[in-house]
Amino acid sequence: MKLIFAGIMAGLLTTTAAQAEEIVFTSWGGTTQEAQTKSWAEPFTVESGIKVLQDGPTDYGKLKAMVDSGNVSWDVVDVEMDFAIKAAKDGLLEPIDFNVVPKADLDPRFTTEHAVGSFYYSFVLAWNKGAVSGEPAGWADMFDLAKFPGKRTFYKWSAPGVIEIALLADGVPADKLYPLDLDRAFNKLDTIKPEIVWWSGGAQSQQLIASGEATFGQLWNGRVFALQEEGADVGVSWNQNMTAADVLVVPKGAKNKDLAMKFLAAATSPKGQASFAEASGYAPINTAAKAEMPEDVVESLPDAYVEGQINLDMNYWAENRDAIAERWYAWQAQ
Amino acid sequence: MSVDARQSFATLRMPSGFGGLLPALVLITLFFLVPVVALLLRSVTEPEPGLQNYAALFGDGTYARVFFNTFLVASVVTAVTVVVAFPVAWMLAIMPPVLGSIVFGVIILSMWTNLLTRTYAWMVLLQRTGVINRTLIGLGVVDEPLPLINNLTGVTIGMVYIMLPFMILPLVGTLRAIDPMTLRAAALCGASPIAAFRRILLPLSLPGIAAGGLMVFVMSLGYFVTPALLGGTSNMMLAEMIAQMIQSLLNWGLGSAAAFILLAVTMALYALQLRLVGAKRLAGGV
Repeated sequence: MKLIFAGIMAGLLTTTAAQAEEIVFTSWGGTTQEAQTKSWAEPFTVESGIKVLQDGPTDYGKLKAMVDSGNVSWDVVDVEMDFAIKAAKDGLLEPIDFNVVPKADLDPRFTTEHAVGSFYYSFVLAWNKGAVSGEPAGWADMFDLAKFPGKRTFYKWSAPGVIEIALLADGVPADKLYPLDLDRAFNKLDTIKPEIVWWSGGAQSQQLIASGEATFGQLWNGRVFALQEEGADVGVSWNQNMTAADVLVVPKGAKNKDLAMKFLAAATSPKGQASFAEASGYAPINTAAKAEMPEDVVESLPDAYVEGQINLDMNYWAENRDAIAERWYAWQAQ
Repeated sequence: MSVDARQSFATLRMPSGFGGLLPALVLITLFFLVPVVALLLRSVTEPEPGLQNYAALFGDGTYARVFFNTFLVASVVTAVTVVVAFPVAWMLAIMPPVLGSIVFGVIILSMWTNLLTRTYAWMVLLQRTGVINRTLIGLGVVDEPLPLINNLTGVTIGMVYIMLPFMILPLVGTLRAIDPMTLRAAALCGASPIAAFRRILLPLSLPGIAAGGLMVFVMSLGYFVTPALLGGTSNMMLAEMIAQMIQSLLNWGLGSAAAFILLAVTMALYALQLRLVGAKRLAGGV
């Protein structure tokens, strides 16, 4: 029995032992990871000869388990920024080697000691033109059941966004959002709770709006962009659009840390960022990327709507992530 | 054959029987028992040694509600599945073999289609602007769309559909083993069809119902995708809550405790059923 066990373990160890010149990149799957593969991984392999193996979807529980057990099979992981800040504090991430990754042109909003931006996006208000009478003007309209009856859709998971929307709709000025008044936010959300349909992934948010199942909702700008490209009759308001970001991190103890840094340099380069933004509708985190992009794409990005734009406070969220999440899920389950 | 030889023959037989079990035992030990023990350990050691995770789960109204939801959904799904599956299984049992194998193929085929695809298809059918509601409104049956999704109704419809094969398969086996002459005898003795069903067919098919029901119930307890997509947030089930605890909150201790409670309750239910129905009948013997 012991022998069999030892044999199996030995087998596992030899197969997972690091191969030369190869890294594992993990992201969320779907069209986003496809665009990352095409814009970053494939050109990177051609230039450096380093193979990039794709894995996914990103799973924070798995990431923690890998670091805890010392058997880290992911080298670069695409994560949400508030998670990255929290994970860095918990000692789950390698510091970024800015001698390898040029920092000068990176948007400082999305750069930390342990993470570089992957892309950034805005939460925008989108509606099905056939299902809504009139034009919603801003977040407050999502709470106006008299003027805009029908189902509305919000992001299901505890994350920056919905709490802020409720507070803005309740009259909190944009520069006084933090620290978040959770009681006030949940009270406001209670007023429309029976009319809320939650979306748990991007494809679902598109399906809800395109079909009119939800008349309007809070969506990622890239998903609205894709709907409009497909010809869906969807309107969008950028009023008080809220920026959040995905970042790239290297888990503590990653087997190919040095190669991972080289990959980060390529992914955050102006060219890599421009090409990804064009494919996905999400915004580049390298300020030099716009020079490499066609005019009409630049105009469709959150950067074109900075007036009234709100940067969701990732540091606040990182600090209070668990406490808010506990309350969020308890409230949802009621 | 001497007494000695017979004895050594008997002692030889036992181990060779176990030898055949060895691969399965190793597999279960390595990939089930070891992780379960590790899970149990995590639930009482993280973030610190003690029973605080269990105290948190039992002391909190939200978790209690999620546990209640989980068993409610599993019970409703099992009950509805039995009612829907029984006539199908009976048809299959008495059909001519050729026709039966075609129907059987259709049932099996549904299991081969991707689960997520099937669940999304139900979303399109059930939603307020979906095919079913549009048809009903068009026919003038209802004025307002029926709430068929984001609630218990949606979860039940979606899950019964997925669970049906797991109920039908064991039921067909049991029903085929019933001698049709017993029903004819009941009729000859003056029993109405309903009485024959209640007093002959139903008791004789109980082992199949019990086996299928247990499988459906246990599978439903741990279901994730379908309740998450067709239910509302107030129908949250345990599997989704555990995923949140581990993936989003990174609280392995709490997640492990919840998973272990689910496992313990499932084992207890299985033990109860063994007592009530009997292990032999559950295994398919009549």
